[in-house]
Amino acid sequence: MKQRMGLVFGIIAGILLLAVFYGAFMVTPMIVTPKAPDGVFSQKMFYFHVPIALTSFVASAIGAIAAILFLVKKERKYDFISYSSVQLALLFGFLVEWTGIIWTRMEWGAWWAWEPRLTTYLIFMLVYAGYFVLRSSVSDENARARYCAVYAIIAAINTPLSFFSIRLIPAVHPVVFTTSGASMETSMLVTFLIGMAGMTCLFISLLITRTKTESLKEEVDYLKNIIGG
Amino acid sequence: MSSLRQIAAILKKDIISELRTKEMLTSMFLFVMLTMVIFNYAFGADRNNLTPFGGGMLWITFLFTAILGLNRSFVHEKDEGCLEGLLLAPVDRPVIYLGKMTGNLIFLSVIEIVTLPIFTVFFISHNYFPQIGWFIIALILSNLGISATGTLLATISINTKTRDMMLPILFLPIIIPLLIGAVVSTGQIMAGTKNFESVYSSLKFLGVYDIIFLLISYGLYDFVLGE
Repeated sequence: MKQRMGLVFGIIAGILLLAVFYGAFMVTPMIVTPKAPDGVFSQKMFYFHVPIALTSFVASAIGAIAAILFLVKKERKYDFISYSSVQLALLFGFLVEWTGIIWTRMEWGAWWAWEPRLTTYLIFMLVYAGYFVLRSSVSDENARARYCAVYAIIAAINTPLSFFSIRLIPAVHPVVFTTSGASMETSMLVTFLIGMAGMTCLFISLLITRTKTESLKEEVDYLKNIIGG
Repeated sequence: MSSLRQIAAILKKDIISELRTKEMLTSMFLFVMLTMVIFNYAFGADRNNLTPFGGGMLWITFLFTAILGLNRSFVHEKDEGCLEGLLLAPVDRPVIYLGKMTGNLIFLSVIEIVTLPIFTVFFISHNYFPQIGWFIIALILSNLGISATGTLLATISINTKTRDMMLPILFLPIIIPLLIGAVVSTGQIMAGTKNFESVYSSLKFLGVYDIIFLLISYGLYDFVLGE
Protein backbone atom coordinates (compact mmCIF):
# COMPACT_ATOMS: atom_id res chain seq x y z
CA MET A 1 0.00 0.00 0.00
CA LYS A 2 2.78 2.37 1.00
CA GLN A 3 4.38 1.88 -2.41
CA ARG A 4 1.23 3.05 -4.13
CA MET A 5 0.49 6.10 -1.98
CA GLY A 6 1.98 8.51 -4.51
CA LEU A 7 -0.15 7.07 -7.28
CA VAL A 8 -3.32 7.06 -5.17
CA PHE A 9 -2.91 10.69 -4.20
CA GLY A 10 -2.09 11.53 -7.79
CA ILE A 11 -5.31 9.99 -9.05
CA ILE A 12 -7.37 11.74 -6.36
CA ALA A 13 -5.67 15.02 -7.26
CA GLY A 14 -6.47 14.50 -10.95
CA ILE A 15 -10.16 13.89 -10.25
CA LEU A 16 -10.44 16.85 -7.86
CA LEU A 17 -8.65 19.24 -10.21
CA LEU A 18 -10.93 18.20 -13.09
CA ALA A 19 -13.84 18.92 -10.76
CA VAL A 20 -12.41 22.38 -10.12
CA PHE A 21 -12.31 23.08 -13.86
CA TYR A 22 -15.93 22.02 -14.11
CA GLY A 23 -16.92 23.99 -11.01
CA ALA A 24 -15.05 27.13 -12.01
CA PHE A 25 -16.31 27.38 -15.55
CA MET A 26 -19.74 25.69 -15.40
CA VAL A 27 -21.17 26.04 -11.92
CA THR A 28 -19.95 29.16 -10.18
CA PRO A 29 -21.57 32.47 -11.11
CA MET A 30 -19.73 35.30 -12.81
CA ILE A 31 -18.72 38.13 -10.50
CA VAL A 32 -20.52 41.25 -11.66
CA THR A 33 -19.07 44.66 -10.86
CA PRO A 34 -20.34 48.12 -11.84
CA LYS A 35 -17.42 48.46 -14.26
CA ALA A 36 -17.99 45.06 -15.89
CA PRO A 37 -21.73 44.28 -16.08
CA ASP A 38 -21.10 41.13 -18.16
CA GLY A 39 -19.03 39.62 -15.40
CA VAL A 40 -15.33 39.42 -14.64
CA PHE A 41 -14.03 36.31 -16.38
CA SER A 42 -10.51 36.67 -15.01
CA GLN A 43 -11.88 36.08 -11.53
CA LYS A 44 -12.05 32.36 -12.44
CA MET A 45 -8.29 32.34 -11.89
CA PHE A 46 -9.05 32.61 -8.19
CA TYR A 47 -9.97 28.90 -7.96
CA PHE A 48 -6.51 27.89 -9.16
CA HIS A 49 -4.28 30.73 -8.06
CA VAL A 50 -5.14 30.82 -4.37
CA PRO A 51 -4.95 27.03 -3.74
CA ILE A 52 -1.57 26.94 -5.51
CA ALA A 53 -0.37 29.86 -3.40
CA LEU A 54 -1.43 28.25 -0.13
CA THR A 55 0.13 24.95 -1.20
CA SER A 56 3.43 26.67 -1.94
CA PHE A 57 3.47 28.01 1.63
CA VAL A 58 2.76 24.51 2.91
CA ALA A 59 5.63 23.20 0.78
CA SER A 60 8.03 25.77 2.16
CA ALA A 61 6.90 25.01 5.72
CA ILE A 62 7.33 21.25 5.23
CA GLY A 63 10.75 21.91 3.72
CA ALA A 64 11.75 23.74 6.91
CA ILE A 65 10.18 21.22 9.30
CA ALA A 66 11.91 18.31 7.56
CA ALA A 67 15.14 20.34 7.69
CA ILE A 68 14.81 20.79 11.45
CA LEU A 69 14.12 17.06 11.82
CA PHE A 70 17.21 16.32 9.77
CA LEU A 71 19.41 18.53 11.93
CA VAL A 72 18.05 16.95 15.09
CA LYS A 73 17.87 13.29 14.05
CA LYS A 74 20.56 13.20 11.34
CA GLU A 75 18.54 10.78 9.18
CA ARG A 76 19.01 11.03 5.43
CA LYS A 77 15.33 10.58 4.65
CA TYR A 78 14.51 13.97 6.19
CA ASP A 79 17.04 15.60 3.91
CA PHE A 80 15.31 13.98 0.93
CA ILE A 81 11.90 15.15 2.13
CA SER A 82 13.20 18.67 2.70
CA TYR A 83 14.89 18.79 -0.71
CA SER A 84 11.80 17.46 -2.50
CA SER A 85 9.55 19.86 -0.65
CA VAL A 86 11.73 22.83 -1.55
CA GLN A 87 11.66 21.75 -5.19
CA LEU A 88 7.89 21.73 -5.04
CA ALA A 89 7.85 25.08 -3.25
CA LEU A 90 9.77 26.56 -6.16
CA LEU A 91 7.48 24.84 -8.69
CA PHE A 92 4.30 26.02 -6.98
CA GLY A 93 5.83 29.46 -6.45
CA PHE A 94 6.44 29.67 -10.18
CA LEU A 95 2.85 28.63 -10.90
CA VAL A 96 1.54 31.28 -8.47
CA GLU A 97 3.62 33.90 -10.20
CA TRP A 98 2.50 32.77 -13.62
CA THR A 99 -1.23 32.65 -12.80
CA GLY A 100 -0.83 35.97 -11.00
CA ILE A 101 0.80 37.55 -14.02
CA ILE A 102 -1.98 36.32 -16.31
CA TRP A 103 -4.53 37.83 -13.94
CA THR A 104 -2.62 41.12 -13.77
CA ARG A 105 -2.53 41.28 -17.56
CA MET A 106 -6.27 40.68 -17.83
CA GLU A 107 -7.24 43.05 -15.06
CA TRP A 108 -4.74 45.90 -15.19
CA GLY A 109 -3.50 45.53 -18.77
CA ALA A 110 0.14 45.23 -17.73
CA TRP A 111 2.32 42.13 -17.58
CA TRP A 112 3.96 43.21 -14.40
CA ALA A 113 2.96 45.41 -11.50
CA TRP A 114 4.96 45.82 -8.32
CA GLU A 115 2.04 44.59 -6.35
CA PRO A 116 2.85 43.25 -2.84
CA ARG A 117 1.81 39.65 -3.37
CA LEU A 118 3.43 39.26 -6.77
CA THR A 119 6.59 40.84 -5.41
CA THR A 120 6.55 38.54 -2.39
CA TYR A 121 6.46 35.56 -4.72
CA LEU A 122 9.25 36.94 -6.83
CA ILE A 123 11.42 37.16 -3.70
CA PHE A 124 10.16 33.71 -2.65
CA MET A 125 11.37 32.24 -5.95
CA LEU A 126 14.73 34.00 -5.76
CA VAL A 127 15.29 32.69 -2.23
CA TYR A 128 14.49 29.13 -3.24
CA ALA A 129 16.51 29.38 -6.45
CA GLY A 130 19.51 30.09 -4.20
CA TYR A 131 18.85 26.79 -2.44
CA PHE A 132 19.54 24.84 -5.63
CA VAL A 133 22.70 26.77 -6.43
CA LEU A 134 23.89 25.99 -2.91
CA ARG A 135 22.95 22.34 -3.23
CA SER A 136 24.86 21.89 -6.46
CA SER A 137 28.05 23.50 -5.19
CA VAL A 138 28.81 21.37 -2.15
CA SER A 139 30.34 18.00 -2.95
CA ASP A 140 30.43 16.42 0.49
CA GLU A 141 27.03 14.80 1.10
CA ASN A 142 26.80 15.44 4.82
CA ALA A 143 27.89 19.04 4.56
CA ARG A 144 25.49 19.58 1.66
CA ALA A 145 22.58 18.24 3.63
CA ARG A 146 23.47 20.36 6.66
CA TYR A 147 23.92 23.63 4.74
CA CYS A 148 20.75 23.06 2.74
CA ALA A 149 18.79 22.30 5.90
CA VAL A 150 20.00 25.53 7.51
CA TYR A 151 19.15 27.49 4.38
CA ALA A 152 15.70 25.88 4.04
CA ILE A 153 14.88 26.99 7.59
CA ILE A 154 16.03 30.55 6.96
CA ALA A 155 14.17 30.66 3.64
CA ALA A 156 10.89 29.56 5.20
CA ILE A 157 11.16 32.23 7.89
CA ASN A 158 12.04 34.82 5.31
CA THR A 159 8.79 34.36 3.37
CA PRO A 160 6.37 35.92 5.89
CA LEU A 161 8.96 38.59 6.70
CA SER A 162 9.23 39.67 3.08
CA PHE A 163 5.44 39.71 2.85
CA PHE A 164 5.22 42.13 5.78
CA SER A 165 8.17 44.24 4.71
CA ILE A 166 6.62 45.06 1.35
CA ARG A 167 3.69 46.60 3.19
CA LEU A 168 6.07 49.08 4.82
CA ILE A 169 6.48 50.98 1.58
CA PRO A 170 3.99 53.84 1.68
CA ALA A 171 1.18 54.10 -0.88
CA VAL A 172 0.62 50.60 -2.20
CA HIS A 173 -2.79 49.07 -2.56
CA PRO A 174 -2.68 45.56 -1.23
CA VAL A 175 -6.26 44.32 -1.68
CA VAL A 176 -6.53 42.52 -5.00
CA PHE A 177 -9.00 39.73 -4.70
CA THR A 178 -12.23 41.26 -3.48
CA THR A 179 -13.94 37.90 -3.06
CA SER A 180 -13.44 37.60 0.65
CA GLY A 181 -14.75 34.59 2.53
CA ALA A 182 -17.79 36.39 3.87
CA SER A 183 -19.17 37.43 0.50
CA MET A 184 -18.49 34.14 -1.28
CA GLU A 185 -21.42 32.16 -2.56
CA THR A 186 -21.74 28.51 -1.55
CA SER A 187 -20.88 27.17 -5.02
CA MET A 188 -17.79 29.37 -5.12
CA LEU A 189 -16.67 28.30 -1.69
CA VAL A 190 -17.18 24.62 -2.53
CA THR A 191 -15.21 24.97 -5.78
CA PHE A 192 -12.45 26.76 -3.93
CA LEU A 193 -12.29 24.08 -1.24
CA ILE A 194 -12.21 21.32 -3.86
CA GLY A 195 -9.35 23.19 -5.49
CA MET A 196 -7.58 23.40 -2.15
CA ALA A 197 -8.00 19.65 -1.55
CA GLY A 198 -6.92 18.85 -5.10
CA MET A 199 -3.76 20.93 -4.88
CA THR A 200 -2.90 19.42 -1.50
CA CYS A 201 -3.29 15.89 -2.91
CA LEU A 202 -1.18 16.85 -5.91
CA PHE A 203 1.50 18.19 -3.57
CA ILE A 204 1.46 15.05 -1.40
CA SER A 205 1.63 12.81 -4.46
CA LEU A 206 4.56 14.74 -5.94
CA LEU A 207 6.33 14.90 -2.59
CA ILE A 208 6.12 11.13 -2.09
CA THR A 209 7.31 10.48 -5.63
CA ARG A 210 10.19 12.96 -5.45
CA THR A 211 11.36 11.70 -2.07
CA LYS A 212 11.35 8.13 -3.34
CA THR A 213 13.28 9.18 -6.45
CA GLU A 214 15.93 10.85 -4.31
CA SER A 215 16.44 7.83 -2.08
CA LEU A 216 16.54 5.52 -5.11
CA LYS A 217 19.13 7.82 -6.65
CA GLU A 218 21.33 7.44 -3.60
CA GLU A 219 20.88 3.69 -3.66
CA VAL A 220 21.92 3.58 -7.32
CA ASP A 221 25.01 5.68 -6.54
CA TYR A 222 25.89 3.32 -3.73
CA LEU A 223 25.52 0.25 -5.93
CA LYS A 224 27.52 1.88 -8.71
CA ASN A 225 30.33 2.54 -6.25
CA ILE A 226 30.34 -1.11 -5.21
CA ILE A 227 30.55 -2.28 -8.81
CA GLY A 228 33.12 0.34 -9.75
CA GLY A 229 35.31 -0.14 -6.70
CA MET B 1 31.35 36.18 31.94
CA SER B 2 33.88 33.83 30.45
CA SER B 3 31.98 33.58 27.16
CA LEU B 4 31.94 37.37 27.00
CA ARG B 5 35.71 37.32 27.35
CA GLN B 6 35.93 34.67 24.62
CA ILE B 7 33.86 36.86 22.29
CA ALA B 8 36.14 39.78 23.12
CA ALA B 9 39.20 37.65 22.35
CA ILE B 10 37.90 36.64 18.91
CA LEU B 11 36.95 40.24 18.24
CA LYS B 12 40.36 41.48 19.32
CA LYS B 13 42.05 38.99 17.00
CA ASP B 14 39.96 40.23 14.05
CA ILE B 15 40.59 43.87 14.82
CA ILE B 16 44.35 43.42 15.29
CA SER B 17 44.74 41.44 12.06
CA GLU B 18 42.70 44.08 10.22
CA LEU B 19 44.71 46.96 11.66
CA ARG B 20 47.91 45.25 10.49
CA THR B 21 46.83 44.78 6.88
CA LYS B 22 43.98 47.32 6.59
CA GLU B 23 42.96 45.59 3.36
CA MET B 24 39.31 45.04 4.31
CA LEU B 25 38.57 48.58 5.48
CA THR B 26 40.48 50.13 2.59
CA SER B 27 38.70 48.14 -0.06
CA MET B 28 35.32 48.69 1.59
CA PHE B 29 35.91 52.43 1.79
CA LEU B 30 37.08 52.69 -1.81
CA PHE B 31 34.11 50.63 -2.95
CA VAL B 32 31.69 53.03 -1.26
CA MET B 33 33.39 56.07 -2.77
CA LEU B 34 33.42 54.55 -6.25
CA THR B 35 29.77 53.58 -6.01
CA MET B 36 28.83 57.13 -5.07
CA VAL B 37 30.63 58.50 -8.12
CA ILE B 38 28.95 55.91 -10.32
CA PHE B 39 25.56 56.84 -8.87
CA ASN B 40 26.09 60.46 -9.73
CA TYR B 41 26.57 59.63 -13.40
CA ALA B 42 24.01 56.81 -13.48
CA PHE B 43 21.28 59.20 -12.39
CA GLY B 44 22.50 61.92 -14.72
CA ALA B 45 25.20 64.39 -13.71
CA ASP B 46 23.02 67.42 -14.44
CA ARG B 47 20.49 66.41 -11.86
CA ASN B 48 21.40 68.15 -8.61
CA ASN B 49 18.79 66.82 -6.22
CA LEU B 50 18.94 63.08 -5.60
CA THR B 51 17.40 63.31 -2.11
CA PRO B 52 14.29 61.22 -2.94
CA PHE B 53 16.55 58.32 -3.95
CA GLY B 54 18.80 58.74 -0.91
CA GLY B 55 17.61 55.69 1.02
CA GLY B 56 17.93 53.34 -1.94
CA MET B 57 21.36 54.60 -2.96
CA LEU B 58 22.63 54.49 0.61
CA TRP B 59 21.67 50.87 1.16
CA ILE B 60 22.76 49.55 -2.21
CA THR B 61 26.18 51.00 -1.41
CA PHE B 62 26.33 49.68 2.15
CA LEU B 63 24.89 46.28 1.31
CA PHE B 64 27.45 45.56 -1.38
CA THR B 65 30.33 46.83 0.67
CA ALA B 66 29.06 44.60 3.50
CA ILE B 67 29.25 41.61 1.15
CA LEU B 68 32.83 42.58 0.34
CA GLY B 69 33.70 42.68 4.03
CA LEU B 70 31.86 39.49 4.96
CA ASN B 71 33.65 37.52 2.28
CA ARG B 72 37.00 38.97 3.27
CA SER B 73 36.50 38.12 6.93
CA PHE B 74 36.05 34.44 6.14
CA VAL B 75 38.42 33.99 3.20
CA HIS B 76 41.25 34.79 5.60
CA GLU B 77 40.03 32.34 8.21
CA LYS B 78 39.70 29.59 5.65
CA ASP B 79 42.92 30.15 3.69
CA GLU B 80 45.22 30.48 6.67
CA GLY B 81 43.54 27.59 8.48
CA CYS B 82 42.40 29.93 11.28
CA LEU B 83 38.90 28.46 11.30
CA GLU B 84 40.28 25.05 12.26
CA GLY B 85 42.28 26.75 14.99
CA LEU B 86 39.17 28.46 16.29
CA LEU B 87 37.26 25.17 16.22
CA LEU B 88 40.01 23.44 18.17
CA ALA B 89 40.02 26.18 20.81
CA PRO B 90 37.92 25.41 23.89
CA VAL B 91 35.08 27.80 23.02
CA ASP B 92 31.44 27.12 22.22
CA ARG B 93 30.48 27.32 18.56
CA PRO B 94 27.88 30.06 19.13
CA VAL B 95 30.60 32.11 20.79
CA ILE B 96 32.59 31.99 17.55
CA TYR B 97 29.47 33.22 15.76
CA LEU B 98 28.97 36.12 18.14
CA GLY B 99 32.65 37.06 17.92
CA LYS B 100 32.72 37.05 14.13
CA MET B 101 29.37 38.82 13.93
CA THR B 102 30.49 41.60 16.25
CA GLY B 103 33.62 42.03 14.17
CA ASN B 104 31.65 42.35 10.96
CA LEU B 105 29.23 44.74 12.65
CA ILE B 106 32.05 46.97 13.81
CA PHE B 107 33.82 47.07 10.43
CA LEU B 108 30.58 47.89 8.61
CA SER B 109 29.73 50.60 11.16
CA VAL B 110 33.18 52.17 10.88
CA ILE B 111 32.83 52.41 7.11
CA GLU B 112 29.37 53.92 7.49
CA ILE B 113 30.51 56.51 10.02
CA VAL B 114 33.30 57.59 7.68
CA THR B 115 31.29 57.65 4.45
CA LEU B 116 27.90 58.88 5.61
CA PRO B 117 28.94 62.56 5.90
CA ILE B 118 30.41 62.38 2.39
CA PHE B 119 27.25 60.73 1.09
CA THR B 120 25.12 63.44 2.68
CA VAL B 121 27.19 66.24 1.19
CA PHE B 122 27.12 64.59 -2.23
CA PHE B 123 23.46 63.75 -2.56
CA ILE B 124 21.19 65.02 0.21
CA SER B 125 19.85 68.56 0.05
CA HIS B 126 17.66 68.38 3.15
CA ASN B 127 19.17 68.96 6.59
CA TYR B 128 18.16 65.87 8.58
CA PHE B 129 20.39 66.62 11.55
CA PRO B 130 17.44 67.23 13.94
CA GLN B 131 16.33 63.62 13.35
CA ILE B 132 19.83 62.18 13.54
CA GLY B 133 18.89 60.10 16.60
CA TRP B 134 16.26 58.13 14.69
CA PHE B 135 18.60 57.87 11.74
CA ILE B 136 21.31 56.31 13.89
CA ILE B 137 18.82 53.84 15.38
CA ALA B 138 17.78 52.80 11.87
CA LEU B 139 21.43 52.43 10.90
CA ILE B 140 22.29 50.30 13.94
CA LEU B 141 19.27 48.03 13.53
CA SER B 142 20.01 47.51 9.82
CA ASN B 143 23.70 46.83 10.45
CA LEU B 144 22.82 44.31 13.11
CA GLY B 145 20.54 42.44 10.69
CA ILE B 146 23.11 42.51 7.90
CA SER B 147 25.87 41.16 10.16
CA ALA B 148 23.63 38.57 11.84
CA THR B 149 22.43 37.02 8.57
CA GLY B 150 25.62 37.73 6.68
CA THR B 151 27.96 36.00 9.13
CA LEU B 152 25.92 32.79 9.03
CA LEU B 153 25.58 32.76 5.23
CA ALA B 154 29.22 33.75 4.69
CA THR B 155 30.29 30.75 6.75
CA ILE B 156 28.15 28.50 4.56
CA SER B 157 29.31 30.04 1.29
CA ILE B 158 33.03 29.92 2.14
CA ASN B 159 32.71 26.14 2.50
CA THR B 160 31.18 25.64 -0.97
CA LYS B 161 33.00 25.03 -4.23
CA THR B 162 32.26 28.51 -5.59
CA ARG B 163 33.28 30.15 -2.27
CA ASP B 164 32.78 33.93 -2.30
CA MET B 165 30.65 33.76 -5.46
CA MET B 166 27.97 32.03 -3.43
CA LEU B 167 27.43 34.71 -0.79
CA PRO B 168 25.47 37.25 -2.90
CA ILE B 169 23.18 34.49 -4.23
CA LEU B 170 22.27 33.33 -0.73
CA PHE B 171 22.51 36.63 1.09
CA LEU B 172 20.72 39.13 -1.15
CA PRO B 173 17.29 37.42 -1.34
CA ILE B 174 17.32 36.76 2.41
CA ILE B 175 18.21 40.37 3.17
CA ILE B 176 15.50 41.94 0.96
CA PRO B 177 12.98 42.40 3.82
CA LEU B 178 15.62 44.15 5.91
CA LEU B 179 16.69 46.23 2.94
CA ILE B 180 13.12 47.44 2.43
CA GLY B 181 12.82 48.43 6.08
CA ALA B 182 16.20 50.17 6.00
CA VAL B 183 15.47 52.05 2.77
CA VAL B 184 12.04 53.21 3.93
CA SER B 185 13.20 54.39 7.35
CA THR B 186 16.44 56.14 6.39
CA GLY B 187 15.04 57.40 3.08
CA GLN B 188 12.07 59.04 4.79
CA ILE B 189 14.28 60.65 7.42
CA MET B 190 16.75 61.95 4.84
CA ALA B 191 13.93 63.34 2.74
CA GLY B 192 12.58 65.14 5.81
CA THR B 193 9.20 63.47 6.01
CA LYS B 194 6.47 65.05 8.11
CA ASN B 195 4.71 61.73 8.54
CA PHE B 196 6.83 59.67 10.90
CA GLU B 197 4.36 56.79 11.02
CA SER B 198 6.09 54.74 8.30
CA VAL B 199 9.50 55.40 9.89
CA TYR B 200 8.30 53.99 13.21
CA SER B 201 6.75 50.91 11.65
CA SER B 202 9.94 50.30 9.63
CA LEU B 203 12.05 50.58 12.76
CA LYS B 204 9.80 48.12 14.56
CA PHE B 205 10.08 45.75 11.63
CA LEU B 206 13.87 46.06 11.61
CA GLY B 207 13.91 45.23 15.32
CA VAL B 208 11.77 42.13 14.80
CA TYR B 209 13.92 41.00 11.86
CA ASP B 210 17.09 41.43 13.94
CA ILE B 211 15.75 39.44 16.88
CA ILE B 212 14.48 36.60 14.69
CA PHE B 213 17.65 36.25 12.65
CA LEU B 214 20.02 36.69 15.58
CA LEU B 215 18.30 33.87 17.43
CA ILE B 216 18.11 31.60 14.38
CA SER B 217 21.70 32.19 13.32
CA TYR B 218 22.89 31.71 16.87
CA GLY B 219 21.01 28.42 17.07
CA LEU B 220 22.01 27.11 13.65
CA TYR B 221 25.68 28.10 13.62
CA ASP B 222 26.70 24.87 15.29
CA PHE B 223 25.33 22.90 12.32
CA VAL B 224 27.06 25.13 9.80
CA LEU B 225 30.50 24.55 11.29
CA GLY B 226 29.98 20.79 11.29
CA GLU B 227 31.77 18.05 13.15
